[in-house]
Amino acid sequence: MDGIASYQRFPTVKIRELKDDYAKFELRNTDASIANALRRVMISEVPTVAIDLVEIEINSTVLNDEFLAHRLGLVPLTSERAMSMRFSRDCDACDGDGQCEFCSVEFHLRAKCIGDQTLDVTSKDLYSSDHTVVPVDFSDASGYENSEQRGIIIVKLRRGQELKLRAIARKGIGKDHAKWSPAATVTFMYEPAIHINQEMMESLTLDEKQSFVDSSPTKVFEIDDETHQVKIVDSEAYAYDEEVLKKAEAMGKPGLVEIYAKEDSFIFTVESTGAVKASQLVLNAIDILKQKLDAVRLSEDTVEADDQFGELGAHMRGG
Amino acid sequence: MSSKKVPPHRTANPDFSALKEMVHHHIQSFDYMIDFGLETMVKKIKPIEVFEPVLNKKLRIWLGSPEVYAPQKDSGKTNAATLYPFECRQARFSYDGKLMMDVFFQYDGGTAIREKTHFGQLPIMLMSNKCTLRNADPKKLVSLKEEASEAGGYFILNGLERVVRLLILQKRNYPMSMVRSSFRDRREGHTDKAVVIRCVREDQSAVTVKLYYLSNGSARLGFWALGKEYMLPVGLVLKALADTTDQEIYVSLTCCYNEKYERVKGSVGTQLVGERVKIILDEVRDLSLITHKQCLQHIGKHFKQIMRGMDNESHSVVGDAVLRDYILVHLDDNRDKFNLLIFMLQKLFSLVDQTSVPDNPDALQNQEVLLPGHLITIYLKEKLEEWLLKAAKELRDVINSDKKNFEFMKIHDVKKILQRSSSKLIGTAIDSMLKTGRLVTRISIDLPQNAGMTVQADRLNLLRFLSHFRAVHRGASVAGLRTTSVRKLLPESWGFICPVHTPDGEPCGLLNHMTSCCRITSFYDSGGNLKDFFKMRKSILTILIGVGMIPSWPRLVKSALPEVFSVLLDGCVVGTISSNIVEKAVTHLRRLKLSANSMIPDDLEVGYVPLSIGGTYPGLYLFTCPSRFVRPTKNLLPPSTESNNIELIGPFEQVYMEIQCPDGGDGGRKDLGPATHEEIHPTGILSMVANLTPWSDHNQSPRNMYQCQMGKQTMGFASQALNCRADQKLYHLQTPQTPLVRTGTYEKYGIDEFPLGTNAIVAVLAYSGYDMEDAMVLNKSSVDRGMCHGHIYQTESIDLADKRKADRKTQMFKRDGKSSKSLIDSDGLPHVGQTIRPDEPYCNIYDADTSRTRSQKLKGTEPAIVDYVAVDVKNKKHLQKVNIRFRRQRNPVIGDKFSSRHGQKGVCSQLWQDVDMPFSGVTGMRPDLIINPHAFPSRMTIAMLLESMAAKGGCLHGKFVDATPFSGSLKKTDEKKASESDTLVDELGSKLTALGFNYHGVEVLYSGVYGTELTCEIFIGPVYYQRLRHMVSDKYQVRSRGRVDPLTRQPVQGRKLGGGIRFGEMERDSLLAHGAAYLLHDRLHLSSDHHIADVCSICGSILTTSVAQPQKRIVREIAGIPPGRDPKKVACVACKTSKGMETVAMPYVFRYLAAELASMNIKLTLQLKNEAGA
Repeated sequence: MDGIASYQRFPTVKIRELKDDYAKFELRNTDASIANALRRVMISEVPTVAIDLVEIEINSTVLNDEFLAHRLGLVPLTSERAMSMRFSRDCDACDGDGQCEFCSVEFHLRAKCIGDQTLDVTSKDLYSSDHTVVPVDFSDASGYENSEQRGIIIVKLRRGQELKLRAIARKGIGKDHAKWSPAATVTFMYEPAIHINQEMMESLTLDEKQSFVDSSPTKVFEIDDETHQVKIVDSEAYAYDEEVLKKAEAMGKPGLVEIYAKEDSFIFTVESTGAVKASQLVLNAIDILKQKLDAVRLSEDTVEADDQFGELGAHMRGG
Repeated sequence: MSSKKVPPHRTANPDFSALKEMVHHHIQSFDYMIDFGLETMVKKIKPIEVFEPVLNKKLRIWLGSPEVYAPQKDSGKTNAATLYPFECRQARFSYDGKLMMDVFFQYDGGTAIREKTHFGQLPIMLMSNKCTLRNADPKKLVSLKEEASEAGGYFILNGLERVVRLLILQKRNYPMSMVRSSFRDRREGHTDKAVVIRCVREDQSAVTVKLYYLSNGSARLGFWALGKEYMLPVGLVLKALADTTDQEIYVSLTCCYNEKYERVKGSVGTQLVGERVKIILDEVRDLSLITHKQCLQHIGKHFKQIMRGMDNESHSVVGDAVLRDYILVHLDDNRDKFNLLIFMLQKLFSLVDQTSVPDNPDALQNQEVLLPGHLITIYLKEKLEEWLLKAAKELRDVINSDKKNFEFMKIHDVKKILQRSSSKLIGTAIDSMLKTGRLVTRISIDLPQNAGMTVQADRLNLLRFLSHFRAVHRGASVAGLRTTSVRKLLPESWGFICPVHTPDGEPCGLLNHMTSCCRITSFYDSGGNLKDFFKMRKSILTILIGVGMIPSWPRLVKSALPEVFSVLLDGCVVGTISSNIVEKAVTHLRRLKLSANSMIPDDLEVGYVPLSIGGTYPGLYLFTCPSRFVRPTKNLLPPSTESNNIELIGPFEQVYMEIQCPDGGDGGRKDLGPATHEEIHPTGILSMVANLTPWSDHNQSPRNMYQCQMGKQTMGFASQALNCRADQKLYHLQTPQTPLVRTGTYEKYGIDEFPLGTNAIVAVLAYSGYDMEDAMVLNKSSVDRGMCHGHIYQTESIDLADKRKADRKTQMFKRDGKSSKSLIDSDGLPHVGQTIRPDEPYCNIYDADTSRTRSQKLKGTEPAIVDYVAVDVKNKKHLQKVNIRFRRQRNPVIGDKFSSRHGQKGVCSQLWQDVDMPFSGVTGMRPDLIINPHAFPSRMTIAMLLESMAAKGGCLHGKFVDATPFSGSLKKTDEKKASESDTLVDELGSKLTALGFNYHGVEVLYSGVYGTELTCEIFIGPVYYQRLRHMVSDKYQVRSRGRVDPLTRQPVQGRKLGGGIRFGEMERDSLLAHGAAYLLHDRLHLSSDHHIADVCSICGSILTTSVAQPQKRIVREIAGIPPGRDPKKVACVACKTSKGMETVAMPYVFRYLAAELASMNIKLTLQLKNEAGA
């Protein structure tokens, strides 16, 4: 079976760091297409809930209605429930006008400035009809950062100005509008493999070593204090900028280091907007990927599939 | 270069003095006009005299004590409320104040009776001393619904803001030698050479006098009067001006020639001068005029018809008047005029003998500028004179016609006659001049053009608005010239006119902009006090005499160049100064210019033209007059400890001065002697707009020009008082940002108050081909999040008041009840916040006469939101005037135009999702915008690359980066700095490496689509991008069927009418070349004027066919068969038969052609053939 090796692989995920809005993990034994699909789904296809419809009753603020509506839409709402909600366009309960419990959440905002002090209207002033879907609370548990505790500023009011509105949040995906994207940043990089040719390295003076180490803008190498050997501190800090390779070339020592990207392992960084926890975001993304593949998978009762697709058909049917 | 720490928030009380300085010259000139100019002007208006033969009484009428009132509401009432500019803008009327003047009547030298008369409404410049906003602090301004930074300088006419265009004029009171082939055609015997002087009176009105050289060696003095040019032999004028002898004239003219100095540096005279003077004197003798008196009478005799109102005066009095009113009018004394004429003759002869070169009228050296106050004064004078003369004519007519109800001795009756042409029309004339920019004059008032004197001050953004005040135009007459020499950038304009800020295309080089430090002299000194020109000139004279000048009066020596220099002070020959001491005198004068307590004004122009061989005619020309260009430089002569070493210099003197750059070098001066002056900062040569381009010294120069254009077309923050404005169209950027990389100018003028763009993360790569040819890919997600969102505000003004029937109000706003309840409120006006789609009504107007309701419908193709409805509350019962402001959302779409600050414009070609954009593996950063790398090599906008790197470093360090151009050419004061930073790139690069980024600003990106690493590193960083106002939504044009021209039945033209785009000849050619016959037929025939014509095959005519009476069709309809197309019974009228009728498809214009030809008795016939298969 040497010639016809099985290409089936079993990707593994190893979580390195996990916070509410931040996750870092390794994805191994797969290729760039899968990694990128995961990234793309996380950014643009994991559903969240965001304000989509704003009915303005009173607006005597300095910002006009569209501006306010746009700002409200960009406020992240906690969307753990989003996966189980319906898109309002295919909601049976409300014929797609998006005003029922299955597909929408209603918000109210009412603010009026009566004092001489400028009044900040923030996301905290949005009152939700559903306690599971509320503006994301950014305040630190320690109460450290005061300004963020007040929420996201929507508009500032002066004396006599008033804002009263009703907003409806709906489920949506980032593909339609960036406000529905749960990810602030999702990125991955190939894991670099760095080999130092220590033999050749020893032919350098200490100064030369130092300048070699300094040539990388990120801290990848280091000189050991005792042995004066160049060693790798953090291979993942390497940004594929090839500065060190160029430096080695310039020093007349090509092959001093060898760096190549491991084609099958990726280091993912996920930052969430707060709508969904970073860990949940990854899981949701995998779910959605699966659903997408399910749609591709041919249904069991298609007989012609065998003729048309042969073994592939059988494979896709899960055989 | 150093990154400067700028406070992130603007200061609590921002100082807009730098901004106000930009428009200062407009306001100063208007202030002077109000305070003193009108008074001086009115004094110069000649009184009219009317003689009544029966009573033998003479009535003298003149004007005096003009007074302008601050703008008021209902100026008729006594204590009316102040009128505020914002009210004028909203209600669409003019910001003007009452102009009152005294009309004096005097019978036969008796006591004068004064009558206060209303001369109409004079438009008031904003921020002038009659404006209510003057001296208001920002807080007050805001409370008056103005910008906090309002600088004024413009007029509000019918709600529109207009600025007087600064026109370039010939420098006043300086005799300029000129060579023009058109002079030759003036009259027989003229050559192409002349000396021209534009003489300006105290009241700013000017008379240009030309001294032509004749081929016989003589000269003629030409001047324009009542639209005709008159020529006088110069000898005649000389003799008429002064009671001298031929000997004196001969000596004073020939003194410039001395054998001893032939071919010596600075000698201007030749032997020929003597011959010419003889000819000049002989000419006068040939007219048998010997004495001063005779000459004067001769002139008087010939000019009697022209001089109005002097019919009964003696010849010599008329002659005197001619000299006073037309010849060298800037001087009062005839002796001064004589001296100046002698000087001009000498200069003319020198020009003829080629011992001096002609002056270049296109050089800034010989130019000055027309200021709004002066223009209005001149025009007002002309109108007042006209009015008086008309009044005199009316009076004489009445006296002659023997009207019964008119008594000459009754002032009341005289006044009635005077008001036959209402005095209030004078204010209206000024108003309409400013409104239209057209001067309506019968006689020329010595201005280069009489149209386009004002322009609308467009508030698209701050840069465009301010540029209107700084723009100087060469004039419409020059624009028509074929030659390009006038458009050239001349070295004379260094420091005064920005070399970068001029439009490309038609007005290139004609519409220039003043540099940021350039100012214009005025009647006020730096302290704001009125200059006393008489005193100033006197003290200059005393100083000059103290230095060693020999005054021209009394005349002692007859010597000339190169021994002595003539000294001209404001166009008056005040004396001569020996060439040995002239330089010392100049230095002395410059020292005194600096000291505050001397009587020498700080903007005195000391034009010292040194001796040369065949150069400019030498002399010492001093100017104190207003409307000259000046700019500050550092004088190096006083010890640096002295605080005040800033000297204002003009373009005339600059040419002969030694000014060094502050880089510490000698500027290639070597043995020319040390520099006496130093530039303050190299950015002083750039205009304010050009100064905003970061590191413009690293760009190819045309790119900086393009940026100056595009900066003025940018959507930005047009106004902070947006809610109080009623502009017809206002562009507004929703979320603008302050640039990360900015020049010193940016903070100086507080552009943060009116920001113009967004810091966008720009990646430079060819990604997918949607960025070819200056297209750019925008990140849709960034746009979703609000990047470059904008609005357009449009105001519809509806005024129901019928001007003809002022008291009757037949129209009113009223909802018509049924149709449009959802859109229109009960008062007939729209709800605020209501979205209105195209062709939906937004207001109902009820007409009481016809008892019908009509509604205004929204034009255009995109919906609008009602932003604001302003009503005129003056008339509460009958609402007549309404402003409805619409808001249209304009978020970026494919086809919108964007540009960086380096002349790199592009059109959005795709809006791509975040996930499709390339991303950085390390930071996860996705660009907002992708441009193609091909945008750089040929355009060489290096500064854009620098900006990207600097902004990246700056935002990583949390600092703004200073990108002032030419900062490398400043003197390096501290040694450390000089040694440390060798190049700008080094400095920017090291900032990036300090934070782990690549030195060159590149990053490794991964394809967003495939997830694979891109093969090369990508240059990426933040660049400040401007959104330009050209948007597809305003430009796209679509048509399938629609309106056609009634005559040709072809589609109409124009986007507004839903017309088509011309499919022209070249387009046709390309289809022919492709052999796309069907498409060609479709475009040119079927989609255009397809027509099926009936042709008579017997006579071949298409015009003689007519439809026969339709037959009764009832039979068929009863039968139940649908009334299908009846075969039309067509007959030829000429052949009287329908036998040979055929139908032929043809363009309708062909039929039209046949009809046109028939009208010319040409018959067009068709021969029809039916070839099978053809």
